[in-house]
Amino acid sequence: MENKTIRKFKWFWAWQDEAEEAWLRKMSNEGWQLSRIGFPTIYTFRNVEPQDYVYRLDYRSYWKMEKEDYLQLFRDSGWEFVEEMAGWHYFRQAAQAGEELEIYTDAESKIGKYQRLLAFLGILMLPLFFGVYNLSKASYGWVPIIQVFNALLFVLYVYAIIRILLRIRQLKGI
Amino acid sequence: MRYRKAKQMKNNKKLKKYLPLTEATYYIMLALVEPLHGYGVMQKVEQISQETVKVGPGTLYGAFSSLEKEGLIRMVKEEQRRKCYQLTDKGRQVLVGQIDRLEIMSANGLPVREHLVKTLDSDE
Repeated sequence: MENKTIRKFKWFWAWQDEAEEAWLRKMSNEGWQLSRIGFPTIYTFRNVEPQDYVYRLDYRSYWKMEKEDYLQLFRDSGWEFVEEMAGWHYFRQAAQAGEELEIYTDAESKIGKYQRLLAFLGILMLPLFFGVYNLSKASYGWVPIIQVFNALLFVLYVYAIIRILLRIRQLKGI
Repeated sequence: MRYRKAKQMKNNKKLKKYLPLTEATYYIMLALVEPLHGYGVMQKVEQISQETVKVGPGTLYGAFSSLEKEGLIRMVKEEQRRKCYQLTDKGRQVLVGQIDRLEIMSANGLPVREHLVKTLDSDE
């Protein structure tokens, strides 16, 4: 018998990776195991026996070493690669009593993950910034609508960057 | 002679920028005195550190790629689709530098530790 599947639309912002991990774990405990993620963030879940799976998200958008080596390393250490979405890599592993399952085991490397995310957001922000600047000089027809849209997007980016910077500061500790 | 000394000093300065290593990087490099693949490193680090240090795959992958980029380790062979890495000469020099630092640290700490433990006992 084919397993029942459901699709859910849910939006997480770039700084909410831990909330997303917690949500995926909760779904798995309720008998819904993530099978794929479609654009834009439509999660497909397969109905299975309720199981406690820990989900972890890693962010990598470019590869210094081969990607296959990366996935092999995760597989070897017990992580199943589930899906990739816009640079985010989704891994899961069955929870083990008394053991904390982490893909990043020190603050330095976890900070590295958020720095990569920041670099990506920073690059994306440049055209947006120039868009806002250029359009601010024009004011005819439908331009104001784009202006408002652009400005909102710009504010959102700045907010995302601040949230991620705060996370990095928090990880740096004392 | 003087030239060689100057060259060595310059070399030391270049190596110093890598120090101190993080605890994870230190153990990863220590494990790589012999050729090992990623998972082998994870197991060895956990074992030799008496389970005080565990290296997750995200942390290890990042360390591998930056150590390789800096020329401190290099790929030496492939075993069952897994790349094995080992320290380069530069990596060995950096590791020696780190061990020297640790020696100073523990030489400073050990006498103090004795004193600390004593004062802990008398408090109870």
